[in-house]
Amino acid sequence: MYPLTLNIHHMKSKTLIFILFLSMSSFLNGQSLLDKLEEEHQSAPEYVMSTFKGTRISIGHSLETRKKNTLEVSFMSRYWNVPQETSNSFIADRMCTRFGVDYGVSDNFTVGFGGGFPNGIVDGYLKYRLMQQNINDNGNLFGITLLQAGTYRTRNIKNVELRDDFGDKLAFTTQLLIARKFSRKFSFQIAPTFIHRTSSRLNIDDHNHFAIGFSPRYKLGNHVSLVSEYYYVANPLKSIDTYGAFSLGVNWEVSDLLLQFKMTNNQIFTEDAFITQTAQNFNFRDGNFFFGFHATYHIQL
Amino acid sequence: MNKFLLLLLFVFSDNYLPASGEYIERQGQVMFFSYTSVENIQAENNQVNSLFKPETSEIVVSVLMRAFVFKKSLMHEHFNESYIESDLYPKATFSGKIIDFDPSIKGVQTRLIKGDFTLKNTTKPVEIKAKIIAEDDTYKIEGALSVLVEDYDIKVPPLLSPNIAKKIDVSFNFKYSPYEK
Repeated sequence: MYPLTLNIHHMKSKTLIFILFLSMSSFLNGQSLLDKLEEEHQSAPEYVMSTFKGTRISIGHSLETRKKNTLEVSFMSRYWNVPQETSNSFIADRMCTRFGVDYGVSDNFTVGFGGGFPNGIVDGYLKYRLMQQNINDNGNLFGITLLQAGTYRTRNIKNVELRDDFGDKLAFTTQLLIARKFSRKFSFQIAPTFIHRTSSRLNIDDHNHFAIGFSPRYKLGNHVSLVSEYYYVANPLKSIDTYGAFSLGVNWEVSDLLLQFKMTNNQIFTEDAFITQTAQNFNFRDGNFFFGFHATYHIQL
Repeated sequence: MNKFLLLLLFVFSDNYLPASGEYIERQGQVMFFSYTSVENIQAENNQVNSLFKPETSEIVVSVLMRAFVFKKSLMHEHFNESYIESDLYPKATFSGKIIDFDPSIKGVQTRLIKGDFTLKNTTKPVEIKAKIIAEDDTYKIEGALSVLVEDYDIKVPPLLSPNIAKKIDVSFNFKYSPYEK
């Protein structure tokens, strides 16, 4: 008797489960309207945004270009003390500045010009985005931007180049800026660099230099990030002792204004100068330590 | 057994109904405005998805945050990176019902839509005054609402709080056609 009842029970429950299952499937089909809507495809830009915030990471270029019809006006500065000088200077013994403009011709193409004071370096660059990182590792895993910069030195700084003709005082920098936004906080850029200087005062110096830049960025908050840069030169100058350019800094975004603070070992803003002609290593002694401040104002035209 | 079969048929029949009685919009327009004395921010999204079921008065909306277009490109960047954090919270959604909606009325009805609005994983009840226009085989729904920034875990740094309105005006414009899978 006992096993039989069990059997009936068993059968009943089986049917019940079966019915339940069927009704479930229909219930699933009549799922909430919102779930149904979420199954619909939605298209949107598929590119990673803001791998870095500015066109410069700290001292060097980032792979970021400016959007079409945007103009950025920038003020860059470095301040430092001169060793063994009884100084009564206000705040710092020396300073160096650059005023520049950057303009987005198209979303992928940016041009920029600038002038340095008192070093007298005039510079310009073209920057073109070749490839953009896709979101969710769906396609391109990193972005690539090509940078071509050129400078003209109106006066002698390090005695490296000849100073006879206009053509002697030029330098060209080509960089492949390859970067990946690994997470919402961490981005990293590697920049293989080729620098050509049109003249060398001494035969021992090569006109061409190969270098590579490493630049990590870590976001401390939604508006503040920690950035660093280091450039290694494979064939440095021989006429003077040079060191890899280094920078450690903080970028702070305040609406249309990007403020960049940095500690570095170089005072010049153009790539050929700081990558190949940084004559002091990074430490906190006078003459080696440079405090940098950049302010970039963004204007939508 | 016959009863059982009938039941089966009934249960399954639901799955084979050709028309769901639902209406869909895949290119809906949502705009928002932030007016302050310092600056005006304005953005538009023309790729909003929405489903509308007249028989139950249900309406759901899904807004892809990345698809908002700004006049100033920097604002687009700040909106996604710093305020909405669209990499973490890609969508805003609404799910609600039109109160006292009468599907038999052709033409215009002005009604209140009550429901839940979810933005950055925060859900708040909202009420929207909307105009529903029934035409031959389409529905148009348009309306506006205000969203309080502080309700949705959107962090505005004190320095920038004069630039962003406390209350954001949102308006929408949807045109639905019959939904076929």
